[in-house]
Amino acid sequence: MPTVVLLDSSLSMTRPVSVEGSEEFQRKNLAVHGMTMLFEHMATNYRLEFTSLVAFSSLWELLVPFSRDYNTLQEALNNLEDYDKTCLEAALQGVSNVVQQEWGTSCPCQVVLVTDGALGIGRGSLRHSLQTVKQRVDDKKFPLPFPFPSKLYVMCIANAEELQATDSMDNLEQLINLNGGEGQIYTMEGPLCLKSVQSMFGKLIDQAYSPFHAVLRCGNLTSDVQVFPRPEPVTIDEEVDPIPKTVQTDLEIVGFIEIGDISSPPVLSRHLVLPIAVSKEGDEIGTGATDDTEEETSTNQMAGKSPNFCVLLHGSLKVEGMVALVQLGPDWFGMLYSQADSKKKSNLMMSLFDPGSEPLPWLGRMSQLGPASDAAENPYGEDDSKSPFPIQPKHKRSYAQNVTVWIKASGLQTDVQKILRNAKKLPEKTQTFYKELNRLRKAALAFGFWELLKSVAELLERECTLLPDSAHPDAAFQLSHAAQQLKLASSGDSKYAAFEQNITPMLTDFSGGGGADRI
Amino acid sequence: MFSVSHKTAFVVDHCPYMAESCRQLIECDMLTKSRSQGVIPLAPVSKSLWTCAIECSMEYCRILFDVYPTWKLVNYIVSDSEVHILNSWKQEDQNTHELMAALAAVGPPNPRQDPECCSVLHGLVAAVESLCKITEYQHESRTTLMDTADRVANRGRIICLTNAKSDTHVRMLEDCVLETIQEQNKRAAGSDRLMPIQQCELVLVHIYPQGEETLVSDRQKKELSSMLSSEVHSVRAGRYLASKLNVLVQQHFDLASTTITNIPMKEEQHANTSANYDVELLHHRDAHMEFIKSGDLHMAGSTSRDSGLKETVTLKWCTPRTNSVELHYCTGAYRISPVDVNSRPSSCLTNFLLNGRSVLLEQPRKSGSKVISHMLSSHGGEIFLHVLNSTRSTLEDPPSISEGCGGRVTDYRITDFGEFMRENRLTPFPDSMIDAAGRTPVERAKSQLERYTRYWPMIISQTTIFNMQAVVPLANLIVKDTLTDEDVLTCQKTVYNLVDMERKSDPLPISTVGSRGKGPKRDEQYRIMWNELETLVKAHVGTSERHQRVLECISACRSKPPEEEERKKRGRKREDKEDKTEKNGKDTEEKGWTTDSERLKGVMEREKDEQSECEIIKDSPDSPEPLNKKPRLATEEQQPPEKSKGLALPSASEGVVERNHHI
Repeated sequence: MPTVVLLDSSLSMTRPVSVEGSEEFQRKNLAVHGMTMLFEHMATNYRLEFTSLVAFSSLWELLVPFSRDYNTLQEALNNLEDYDKTCLEAALQGVSNVVQQEWGTSCPCQVVLVTDGALGIGRGSLRHSLQTVKQRVDDKKFPLPFPFPSKLYVMCIANAEELQATDSMDNLEQLINLNGGEGQIYTMEGPLCLKSVQSMFGKLIDQAYSPFHAVLRCGNLTSDVQVFPRPEPVTIDEEVDPIPKTVQTDLEIVGFIEIGDISSPPVLSRHLVLPIAVSKEGDEIGTGATDDTEEETSTNQMAGKSPNFCVLLHGSLKVEGMVALVQLGPDWFGMLYSQADSKKKSNLMMSLFDPGSEPLPWLGRMSQLGPASDAAENPYGEDDSKSPFPIQPKHKRSYAQNVTVWIKASGLQTDVQKILRNAKKLPEKTQTFYKELNRLRKAALAFGFWELLKSVAELLERECTLLPDSAHPDAAFQLSHAAQQLKLASSGDSKYAAFEQNITPMLTDFSGGGGADRI
Repeated sequence: MFSVSHKTAFVVDHCPYMAESCRQLIECDMLTKSRSQGVIPLAPVSKSLWTCAIECSMEYCRILFDVYPTWKLVNYIVSDSEVHILNSWKQEDQNTHELMAALAAVGPPNPRQDPECCSVLHGLVAAVESLCKITEYQHESRTTLMDTADRVANRGRIICLTNAKSDTHVRMLEDCVLETIQEQNKRAAGSDRLMPIQQCELVLVHIYPQGEETLVSDRQKKELSSMLSSEVHSVRAGRYLASKLNVLVQQHFDLASTTITNIPMKEEQHANTSANYDVELLHHRDAHMEFIKSGDLHMAGSTSRDSGLKETVTLKWCTPRTNSVELHYCTGAYRISPVDVNSRPSSCLTNFLLNGRSVLLEQPRKSGSKVISHMLSSHGGEIFLHVLNSTRSTLEDPPSISEGCGGRVTDYRITDFGEFMRENRLTPFPDSMIDAAGRTPVERAKSQLERYTRYWPMIISQTTIFNMQAVVPLANLIVKDTLTDEDVLTCQKTVYNLVDMERKSDPLPISTVGSRGKGPKRDEQYRIMWNELETLVKAHVGTSERHQRVLECISACRSKPPEEEERKKRGRKREDKEDKTEKNGKDTEEKGWTTDSERLKGVMEREKDEQSECEIIKDSPDSPEPLNKKPRLATEEQQPPEKSKGLALPSASEGVVERNHHI
């Protein structure tokens, strides 16, 4: 989940805060302090997060495009300039554009707005924006809700009382509501000082940037892992089942399936599964990427040399072309597989399916998947030539069962032509002739289209009179028989117009082709 | 989950006036040129209003059932002087074949029936009653929710196809529906099998013949009460009605249209040329979510000619590569239904997909860059439109797995774990398959994994027994939930075979990692091997009494000399190295289970054993994995069991002989 830090650089951010007996701080300094803390946390615990930094006043500027280089981000914080008034709407529009250009509209993003809560005056102020929010035309819509799934965190370099004294708090709350309630407002508690800003950003980190640690299990084989980005809770149905489902920290493999059988399933989200070394105190040592301190490096080297189940699993999944089905919670599953990026590096990846008992129709109910060795007969065949997947649905879809549709005249004409074409090749085509005839008969009966039956009967009778002398004698018999049967059906007499009944070829004495054709 | 589209009641008017012709003529006598002379063509046919109504409503259902095979239910009602309810809300009744059969039984309206006693009202009343009836899905949800069962809503839609007299007549029909809902809701409140209707959408479609003026005016959706909304569509019969219902099915079920363009197809007449065709598909509109959100929809789409005024998104066919099995990052998969299911291009495309091929679809972009945004693929006879992620991934450039924990280890048992995964593949079981202990199949799968991994060293240098082909039969069997007597016998044979190997001092594939020189001595190697084997079997000893017997066999057979004796033995071994025969004899004597005759047999078979040594060395970690590690149990099974039951050792050496035969 990429992050955009949207920093208020208006003049009001330079307001001094009174700190007893120490040097004078501006609100901006407190904000920078808080953001530094956030970036440091990410650099150590959440290093794969892409973060960008946008500063705004009446205009907005992308200071750092999405990056994992937290030094660059930190540097940008050190070189901030001060501008004019606050104009949040334009900045939010800017954020929306920046995110969409980079990630499209399906990737969830977190937006961290850092402001002093002075939200501007007059035109361009948040108050003004919110008042006019319902009077917008299509191309000037308010940027919230963002077109991508998002969380909006507002970090106020101000305390709640201050914000409630004006309508700032109301406006900010309205802003969160506009984003579908996705987000939260943080304010500082007590006097404005370094300590309170730390505590406020600490809460944000706990809320939004705490790494997700879990244990990956395959029977008795286990590995401690970090799942990145961390899986967010999912609500399936607001009305019937409004409680969000969360991924449990025990990821239990239930079995394995071939890639061809799982067949590019739709997934909610994808996550890296990174093995981590957990020291005895339970602290995380790191995910193994390069580290600064020597001490960490040596622990990492040790961790690199002791066998890890993730690496084994990854290697075998890659070689065998298989995925592991993993249970994420009650009635919730995902899959583990090897994912190679363009640079020939590969990784263990986990994708989450939709929660529910049957996320993939072609696998059936997940709870009904059991060990192949329990089956009476090996469902994969002795030589691996078969597969129990995909599961066939009970009824065939329309495109797989030769349905009759006459909505367009051409559909009807084609079906009549098919019958006539076969009629001309009787008795060789007796089978197909009656098959097509019965298909037409069934549809005409269902649609109450008796007139068509009469018409086709007449056509067949005429065909009979037009038969050349060289024609097989059976042809004439079959044609007049079919015509007669159609006429009877068109009377609606239940004896002849039963839907499930078929017209069968007439039994004649000409045993030739017709006889062989007969069932 | 229980929105208005959960239940759709179709009410089709079967009164005498529906037998009237729609006055659109269809020429079905298409004469071929060669015969046109002298033959008077037959008069064209025309459908009745009833036929038009039926075929268009069937088309609506066809699309619905293709896209939503479950959860979206149709109840089909025909109304004349009485009500004919053609199916129920049951899932098994939801298919067009059943409905067609029932419609055939009803037949077309009888124009001579007394119009006074016929009315569509009977059908509307029945539809309201039917909407109050609980569906299987509602029932299941209510049962599972228990206390919060009231969260399960009851909403529905009535689509009425009729020929109304006037706007007043329409109002009368609406009033009747509203009154019936109020009445039925009172009844439903006191019943377990009924639910009051919370929301109902009435869609009245007035059908009139071509060339006539309509007596009923179109009306947008309007709330008649908090429970009932109503809209009126006044449509000419025939193709106008068809496109109206096509638009309605899309609105009612959130469908959208995609046109696949540039599909190359061989021409029937000229087999070596191919022309490009377009096929229009319907599917859930979420498949276009990325376009809708990014505002690309208008750019990508064009207006479809055939189905009214709605938009269709055009995606370009990309000629598929050879059957490569790939795992695409797919964010959604939606069932499709072709708009024109019987046309040649449609059936060509669907047959191609049903035969197991997948097609990537490209999104035309202004910039000219090529973006693959979708994929068509079939699974079990159903075709899905997969949405592929086409934007930058947030997971790009991750640290490689080789840089992380365990990444520097190079001797993982990758092939063995691959074999393990194949043995633990999943398969679907019928819904009723719950074993004696009440475990679902997925619980059984987990417990199988638990058993199979009780002792599973991850790297080659951590294990001896899993590098030895000789252990495979036992290792494969011991993890099983239940053993047969024959399985125990196979395990015992494996153990005897190992004893035999030890007696002959066959080298073992012991890892030399971390030890100086040549590694441990031969008897030390065997001690390590036996310990490991014991660890493996001990992990399963609690499973059953037969598992216990395998452990007992190992304890009885393995060499377990006390420390001192072992040292002595080592010394002796060094002396005896030159004379293998003698050493073998002494070793076996010490263990005290060899009889003279068996010793003789050992001598006789040594030649063969020595041949087998080259095969055993293959198991060392340095050499490539054997192609097939599985033992050929089949040949061992062929052995008459009596032969091996009583005497242990002979059968063990026979096992060796068997193995040699296979080399």
